[in-house]
Amino acid sequence: MLRLENICLRLGEFRLQEISLHVKPGTYLALLGPTGTGKTVLLETIAGVHHPSDGRIHIRGQDATQLAPEKRHLGIVYQDHVLFPHLTVFENIAFGLRLQGRPKPKIKQAVEKMARFLEIEALLQRRPSRLSGGERQRTALARALVMEPYVLLLDEPLSALDRATSNRIQNELKRIHTELGVTIIHITHDVAEAFFLADCLAVMKDGRILQEGEPEEVCRYPRSPSVAELMGIENLIAATVENARLVTAMGDLDLPPRLTGSSELPRRVCLTLPGQSVELFPAGKPQDYMWQGSLKISEVHQMNGTGIFKLILVHDGGESLKTYLSPREMELLAASVDIGMTVPVGLLGKGAHWVPQEDAPRQA
Amino acid sequence: MKNFKIIISGLGGILVLIIVVPLAKVISSTDPAVLRSTIIEPEVIHSILLTLRAALWATLASLLFGVPLAYALARWNFPGKTIIQGTIDLPVMIPHTAAGIALLMVYGREFLLGKAFAKVGVSFTGTEAGISLAMAFVSLPFLVNAARDGFLAVDPRLERVARTLGASPWQAFFKVSLPLCWRSILSGAIMMWARGIAEFGAVIILTYHPMIAPILIWSRFENFGLKYASPVAVILILLCLIIFSGLRWLAIQKKES
Repeated sequence: MLRLENICLRLGEFRLQEISLHVKPGTYLALLGPTGTGKTVLLETIAGVHHPSDGRIHIRGQDATQLAPEKRHLGIVYQDHVLFPHLTVFENIAFGLRLQGRPKPKIKQAVEKMARFLEIEALLQRRPSRLSGGERQRTALARALVMEPYVLLLDEPLSALDRATSNRIQNELKRIHTELGVTIIHITHDVAEAFFLADCLAVMKDGRILQEGEPEEVCRYPRSPSVAELMGIENLIAATVENARLVTAMGDLDLPPRLTGSSELPRRVCLTLPGQSVELFPAGKPQDYMWQGSLKISEVHQMNGTGIFKLILVHDGGESLKTYLSPREMELLAASVDIGMTVPVGLLGKGAHWVPQEDAPRQA
Repeated sequence: MKNFKIIISGLGGILVLIIVVPLAKVISSTDPAVLRSTIIEPEVIHSILLTLRAALWATLASLLFGVPLAYALARWNFPGKTIIQGTIDLPVMIPHTAAGIALLMVYGREFLLGKAFAKVGVSFTGTEAGISLAMAFVSLPFLVNAARDGFLAVDPRLERVARTLGASPWQAFFKVSLPLCWRSILSGAIMMWARGIAEFGAVIILTYHPMIAPILIWSRFENFGLKYASPVAVILILLCLIIFSGLRWLAIQKKES
């Protein structure tokens, strides 16, 4: 459906560097990355607003690199909706159809059908200024979808909404994708959002695509510390591989059996360890753990409204790790957890993965 | 807080009085009988109509060229943009008689463009076209700046969305940008027209006859004194107040609706 080949572009402070992507028909691709990484510029480049200095864009097999936006047949929905403020909801949705010169009854029929689909038929005569955030987003979606675009481009469509509305629109996007089968590229910086919606994930940073694949695969096997960090993996531990052991600032770690088998294991790696693999007061079999020792609790935070506690544990060697405790786990612990306490900790081999140590490891 | 409000209101009020007092004085000091007789003088009627008409032509012609320039300045980055933006404001800053001299040296009968226009039967000295040209030259910044600010206030992504929905650049301009900033353009056009009507310095260098109202006021003041100049001034002031208040009111009505 859409193929990007080595797209390069410099636009003010943003830079796209050799972006290549292949989006198959019907795919829901989430483009995940931190703010200011060039995601919107990439989306607008796909839409034809900016022209790449190098590389090619193919839409349905046709070279569209120099094609004007109106010839690409793509729909775009921005984070803050960008509805035409001087037009009613009906006129907003009908905008593109009217440009095509379709007969009025056909336009009315198409607009009403789309409004029914997105449950905004009662709002058709309202101006955007009199709509809620969710209603505006539905209108923006309707305006793009009524044109039956080859690809729907969504620029952080849920970021400006409150949590409840965001959840509703998320379900709506899932329904749109399932029922209409439209190909979607969705920009987000929210891993949970990407996991819920997308069947394909591309992780972007500093104008580059770092990794692409199925969301679970990218999360389980990140290819770089940056991807691991962006996927929300809490702990990245710098290590050197020596005699089938991982030498770290915390001492030596046993290589988990899964990692031992990795023939391509480089000498300098970054161990990625999710928070749930860091256990306080380890109670499993000793062989379950790749490391056991004592760490000092430096911070305890209660997560907003969830009852879950986030703990930061530090080692004398300078390494610091994050873990989470549910209220139930807190109750089961023999001792209370307080700042300054030294507690026994075990690192589970399960869930651990390694990435090449291409840059300095950072705490997520 | 109370003192703050009193000082701010007092200072602002002084400025309002500086504007209102002379206008009120000239209106109140004029004999209504003289005003009535002046208002039906053919020379006065002709002069006022000429002023309004020439300023209107200047505004309409400037809309044709000024709106595209304002759009380009608001939307695009190009080499020399800052210089062009500065140049636009120049006519407001330079003495208007100097502006008139500059115009004469380009559009005068003996000069470059003056000769070229003369070949197609257009002269800018001693004609209504010359009056409009001088008015346009000195009052254009009001229109261009207001229109540019209007375009800047329109989110460029609205045009981008319109383009993805199938609009050409022209359609995006006429269906999205222009409807959203016409009020700024209208406001700028009203200001330009008003400034054009008030112009004296640049016009008198290019065209003494036919006489626009400000020149007629000056001429009567020079030849017959204040008594004969002030009724014309009062008529012009009242007419401008009525027209511009009406236009402003219309613009506000549209905005509120």
